[in-house]
Amino acid sequence: AVVPMASLDLGSLHLTGTASLAEELDKRLLIVLRDGKKILGTMRSFDQYANIVLEHAVERVIVGKCFSDVPLGLYVIRGENVVLLGQVDEAKDLITTQQLLRQVSVDEILEARAQAEEDRKLKANLSRHLSKTLAPLDLDS
Amino acid sequence: TKDGHLSGSDIPLRSPAIACCVLHACKNSDVSAPRCQLVELKNGETYNGHLVSCDTYMNISLREVICTSRDGDRFWRLPEVIIRGNNIKYLRIPEEVIEMVPEEDLTKGKGGRGDGRGRGGKGGRGEGRG
Repeated sequence: AVVPMASLDLGSLHLTGTASLAEELDKRLLIVLRDGKKILGTMRSFDQYANIVLEHAVERVIVGKCFSDVPLGLYVIRGENVVLLGQVDEAKDLITTQQLLRQVSVDEILEARAQAEEDRKLKANLSRHLSKTLAPLDLDS
Repeated sequence: TKDGHLSGSDIPLRSPAIACCVLHACKNSDVSAPRCQLVELKNGETYNGHLVSCDTYMNISLREVICTSRDGDRFWRLPEVIIRGNNIKYLRIPEEVIEMVPEEDLTKGKGGRGDGRGRGGKGGRGEGRG
């Protein structure tokens, strides 16, 4: 079985660069990827490229005020795709999931996300057409 | 590292690259539950298949692969696939694997090797400047 490095006092080592991730080992983290995904999970290991192994990973999909945690299992994330990560404050997480957001089923949130994506595409198309057909504003006259 | 800081290898780390090699070992030992995994690429395509091999660059080869397009509307079945590591966004692997990561990686002696180098290097460079 995997053994956590409880014997090492990593906080006193003042580690630089990617090594500082050692302080986050076996902690529950929120990782934001370049494509916008928010993944929560327990970090089991990492390397110099900040590739991360996450146990019990979950993708938190948020659409408006609704959210759902899509279970993902064991994940290996390639480091270059990570924007930021941080420890989950369990108290704040509780407030977020119980008061600020409404939890829905996975199917519901995926549908909501697809719908939101459709709406966004429609809006983008519309604004593009509008900018082509309307005459440009003459602000100098 | 070259500038004398404590590098990642100074601390006994569990490298995710080893997870890949362990997957490979598992595949050979436990034929009844072959290691089926999902790879998502940076372009959003997902590849589901059995891991055949992997290397330190995270290049992987998969067999019996089902490739799904980004929108999830098109599927291809491919007998064999090789993916260049830099294209990978993430991999999803079976949960049993985490039990099989060899613990000796933790104390591989990287700590001992790194200590002297790190401190010695910093001292030397500092003296030169001073």
